[in-house]
Amino acid sequence: MKILIIEDEEELARSIAEYLSEENYLCEFAASYNQALDKIEMYQYDCILLDIMLPDGNGMKLLEELKLQDKQDGVIIISAKNALDDKIKGLQIGADDYLTKPFHLSELTARIYSIIRRKQFSNSNIVRQNELLIDLLAKTVSVNNDPVTLTKKEFDLLIYFIGNKNRVISKSTLAEHLSGDFADMLDNHDFVYAHVKNLKKKLYDAGSGHYLKTVYGTGYKWMGS
Amino acid sequence: MIYVLVVLLISVPVYYFVVDTIWKNELDEHNRIIADKTAYALNQLKLSGDTLLKSIVLWNSIQPGTNIQSISSSGTIKDSVYTIEKQKSYSEKPNIDRFRCLSTIIYINNKQYLFTVETNIEESKETIAIIAITTIFFFIIIVAGLLVLNRKLSITIWRPFRNTLDKLKTFNLNHQTKIDFDKTDTSEFEELSHSLRELIAHNISVYKTQKEFTENASHELQTPLAILKSKLDILLQNKDLTERQYHIAEEMNKALIRSSRINKNLLLLAKIDNSQFDSSENLKFDMLLQQSIETLEEHFEQKNISVSTTAVPDLSLNGNGSLTEILINNLLLNAIRHTLPNGSITLTLTKSSFEVTNSGLKELDKDLLFKRFSSASADNSGSGLGLAIIKEICRFQKWSVRYRFENGHHIFSVYF
Repeated sequence: MKILIIEDEEELARSIAEYLSEENYLCEFAASYNQALDKIEMYQYDCILLDIMLPDGNGMKLLEELKLQDKQDGVIIISAKNALDDKIKGLQIGADDYLTKPFHLSELTARIYSIIRRKQFSNSNIVRQNELLIDLLAKTVSVNNDPVTLTKKEFDLLIYFIGNKNRVISKSTLAEHLSGDFADMLDNHDFVYAHVKNLKKKLYDAGSGHYLKTVYGTGYKWMGS
Repeated sequence: MIYVLVVLLISVPVYYFVVDTIWKNELDEHNRIIADKTAYALNQLKLSGDTLLKSIVLWNSIQPGTNIQSISSSGTIKDSVYTIEKQKSYSEKPNIDRFRCLSTIIYINNKQYLFTVETNIEESKETIAIIAITTIFFFIIIVAGLLVLNRKLSITIWRPFRNTLDKLKTFNLNHQTKIDFDKTDTSEFEELSHSLRELIAHNISVYKTQKEFTENASHELQTPLAILKSKLDILLQNKDLTERQYHIAEEMNKALIRSSRINKNLLLLAKIDNSQFDSSENLKFDMLLQQSIETLEEHFEQKNISVSTTAVPDLSLNGNGSLTEILINNLLLNAIRHTLPNGSITLTLTKSSFEVTNSGLKELDKDLLFKRFSSASADNSGSGLGLAIIKEICRFQKWSVRYRFENGHHIFSVYF
């Protein structure tokens, strides 16, 4: 899988690449508008991470360029600006997602995973891990062909774990993912624990293996192949 | 005014003294003339002794105010001038008159006669009264005139000052409309306007810089925060991490999440301050409220808080959709945070207000409540900006928010 990271902040770009490389993603960098333009014209990427504030141009123009060239690359805008207008405009022009800095790498990875899956398996988007079967399109889960009923939040969590296989995800990161902007207003993050516990129990009761491990009490890790 | 009164009061006895003296002198002169004239006229008649006596008797009875008396020639009597007050002989009512008298020796046919003449003079009481009345009359005229003149003068003189004051009152630092003061001929006022103009211009520029600073600072912080966050995420993946190290990293993660949130909220506040939102959207308040309740349902359940909602349907208002969403979420989250487990929250939406009522222990400090970073309660886990954001959003949308504590319940009300 090829990812293009268009980001002028070198440290951030390197972190993203390091995190993604373990997931067999191949990352390339572009630190400026012109570099990025060259790369998107020459190569095809599975996903492009686009910072819209570049030193020599507006990332939105790149988005328009991609559209003009009828490229099918998935695009996630990563921006320090949390302007709703930008978000709407970006998504209208053809971005697949919008992530505001600062974000967790696990959040980014989960979104990249979803976009690539969506782009590549547009008809039947099914993830299989041994006896566990997840239909990303229909949003259903089954174990040994027996359907498991999950709530929206539980399914959301499962996808998040699948997108971050073999990674440690801390409870506070999950809380932020689940509650979005509210996390900081809440006293405790026990609701994360409740959701994870329910998800684990439902899967295990249906006959699935213990894929979701607890790490040091407050972290979680999905063991996958 | 008092000064005028004092001067006029002093003038009353002075006037009296002056008038009385002039009067007396004139009358003395008059009396003397009458005495001389009488003596001269009687001498001219060259009457015989007997006829003279008769004439004098007649004189005394018909000529009022004078009296001729024959006196013995032995010894000389000096002229005397005096004032008497007596009852009018012909008046029945008690009516005292004052007379100026002269008694002098006249010679008729070389015989001495005592001639007394009395001339009515105004009584001192009356004089004083008249002078006093006149004085008071003038005092009133002066005072009234001064008042009218003063008022007229002050209106014209202070007009530029009033204009300036009125303009200052309407000035609002948030809107930053420049004030144009009227030109005046009064140099003091011109100086005042000049100073005010400079002061306002300076204030506006400082205010702008500060607002821009908040926004820029928050923006600039986003990138280093993003780098920190990503590095921490990588650190958490390290296979050699001990449990102790993992927990330290997780604590750092929590603090980082919180600072990112504070930063985002500050940025939001700065954006509202800088009016970067459209406030003319048409929004369905009841729908937004419903959405919010659904999103937060699990948090109500987790603390076992019972929620009861009464809402008017189809309430559409003008405002900004995303800001209103934040407003509702913040109010509800605030209620969730500060309600004890097993408590209750009541949401009331009417056409003109939205009220969030939750059970609580004691009243919060109203002055501190909506201020940035001043948690009114002991609990410090929030960003300290939730209520400040609520207030700013209300201000921006021209709504108002109020807090009160009634019967063990915190009540936050938003009035549209």
